[in-house]
Amino acid sequence: MTLNAYPALYIFSVGVLPYITVIVFIVGVIVRSMKWLSAPRGSSTPLSLTAAIRQIILDVILFRKIYRHDKLTWLLIFLFHISAGGIIFGHMRGFKLWSAELFTPLGEGFKNFLVETLPIYMGYLFIATQLLLLLRRLSLEGRKLLSHPNDYAALILLLATSIAGQGMRITPPEAVDTTYTVSFIPRLVVLHLEKIPSVPWFLIHVILTQLFFMYIPYSKLIHIYTGVITAALYGSRRSEYGL
Amino acid sequence: MAYERLDEALKTLNRRQLLELDTCARCALCTDLCPVYAESKNPLHAPGVRSSRILSLVNKRLSLWARLLGPRPLPEGELEELVESTYHCTLCGRCMETCPFGLETHELWLNVRSLLNLLNQTPPRIKMLGEMLEENGNPYGLDADMRLDWADYTGLEEAPVKDRAEVAYFVGCTTAFKAVNQEIAYSIASLLNELNVDWTLLGEEEWCCGSPYLLAGDREGAREAAERNVEALKARGVKTVITGCAGCFRVMRWEYPKLLGGPLPFRVIHAVEYFSEHITSGDLKPEPLDARVAYHDPCELGRLGGVIEEPRIILKALTTNPVELPENGLEGRCCGGGGLLQAVDDELRLSIVDARLRQASELGVEILTSACPSCKLTLSDGVRERSYNLEVLDLMELLARQMGL
Ligand code: HEM
Ligand code: SF4
Ligand code: SF4
Repeated sequence: MTLNAYPALYIFSVGVLPYITVIVFIVGVIVRSMKWLSAPRGSSTPLSLTAAIRQIILDVILFRKIYRHDKLTWLLIFLFHISAGGIIFGHMRGFKLWSAELFTPLGEGFKNFLVETLPIYMGYLFIATQLLLLLRRLSLEGRKLLSHPNDYAALILLLATSIAGQGMRITPPEAVDTTYTVSFIPRLVVLHLEKIPSVPWFLIHVILTQLFFMYIPYSKLIHIYTGVITAALYGSRRSEYGL
Repeated sequence: MAYERLDEALKTLNRRQLLELDTCARCALCTDLCPVYAESKNPLHAPGVRSSRILSLVNKRLSLWARLLGPRPLPEGELEELVESTYHCTLCGRCMETCPFGLETHELWLNVRSLLNLLNQTPPRIKMLGEMLEENGNPYGLDADMRLDWADYTGLEEAPVKDRAEVAYFVGCTTAFKAVNQEIAYSIASLLNELNVDWTLLGEEEWCCGSPYLLAGDREGAREAAERNVEALKARGVKTVITGCAGCFRVMRWEYPKLLGGPLPFRVIHAVEYFSEHITSGDLKPEPLDARVAYHDPCELGRLGGVIEEPRIILKALTTNPVELPENGLEGRCCGGGGLLQAVDDELRLSIVDARLRQASELGVEILTSACPSCKLTLSDGVRERSYNLEVLDLMELLARQMGL
């Protein structure tokens, strides 16, 4: 069975949906930006680049503030975001943004660990941390926080996407040993697969991932990029106040 | 509910604030350290719940869906709950410092107060305060000509009100009118005299700095107060304005330029900045105590004002036994005295200060200092109400005392 075993679904998910994803995503970003831009300008803080970068590294990448006062929650949120980052980075290999040769200097054994074994652990970690985040949210609901429906929708969508991704990784691949390419948007977004993964999991994963991307600008997932902006602004404010 | 007014009021939230509301992950990391929530455990008082409520309101009325499908009505009681939430806050800014995204909640909460003011939803006891400010230029309803009475009560010999001077001492209402704080004014004045500074008071021309207007959501009132004080200071050719009040300091230093749309013709500094320089240079040589003395950071001076090191320089000159409280500096814990909480829920204010006093008392602190008359008032109320065995003083009082003044 090869990837085009389900011709209609296959054509839809890699030949049609990607265009819809891009359009829905861009429209979402524009609509959100218009919402912000239609409001009056506030007083502005002069941007301090060094303070902004410092703030981004400490608070956005390392979650320093959470570390300071709640080590357990820090561990959870940090591991969740680190595994997300690792997984995003891993995907980039399939899109030829880097190749496994990058790790050759570290020795063949270690290279294989990094590109074959580690991603599987990362996948489990990613799923486990999401489940814990979901539990955390449920347990604090109505006492310490007030979720919007999209907070749960975002988590559940991501959870389903990552379970499908992991399913694809751990079920036996279809045996074809040449590289197989999947063109989402020809020339622009082309996925190179060394092994053809388990087909049903692959299709579910591909569809859910695109739904996730479409959802970013319409949900709290928008913090993926606005969080960098707000952290840079806060860093600049601290520098203005001499802190 | 007049929805047109509501929509207009919501449109006063600015660009950054809308972006911040959309960025909030509703993670509740800010909730654990909120001094109000810590005591009340009421979800409505949690900062993340407040931002979640505000975002719902904005989305119901102004989002794209609202524009396409028509704005949605508010459920019964939604606005009343937002008022309850917004005024159960000391505006300490701790949530801003805790938020992993650095959302500037302090400004957001202030803006929501103005928004509620536009909707005539300001709680009645806070509205009354506005009326007193209008009439007397201070939030205590006392006549303006009583503004200098502290000098008589404390026996200060030289309290100059000059036509021109290098330095002006801006006393502030909570220092001038509240008996527990009048020694602070005496101390700062005596220290200025000791240093032979060319200084002046504004006397009856001093007006509320504008801070309570901002806290009550009246930005226009704050702007008028700012204009009035800046005129009075400019007319005297003042180059440096010193104040011993953290609230006056924050508003004059950081809000006046925004309210008036440009830089001020003088610099504004807090007394701890001024006198710490004179301690470092050796002009002031206080006699150190050997008591356990701690310094409590006023939110508006430290986290919200940017002055953290200077009071510690003074503290180290005043005692051989300085104590650092937990939750200090940028992460200082609010005493409960801010945000006009006292007018809305005094019991809550007293439990918040109790939590702070417990921290000091567990460390065996004998003298608890601060650099703000509102902190002194609140800490003293807490010590009295819950019978703590420690002395509450302003850092300036202790400095003057150790200088033999
Ligand atoms: C800009 C820097 C970022 C910061 C400061 C940040 C911070 C946070 C925080 C504090 C949470 C809340 C956890 C909770 O709900 O208890 C969260 C959740 C989440 N973040 Fe991020 N994040 C950032 C970037 C990203 C990126 C790059 C991704 C990409 C996958 C991402 C995806 C998510 C998801 C899916 C959730 C879970 C939603 C939920 O818990 O309801 N974040 N983030
Ligand atoms: S400003 Fe202070 S009191 Fe108000 S919500 Fe934030 S942490 Fe709580
Ligand atoms: S910590 Fe920041 S992102 Fe989290 S709920 Fe509070 S304001 Fe929102």
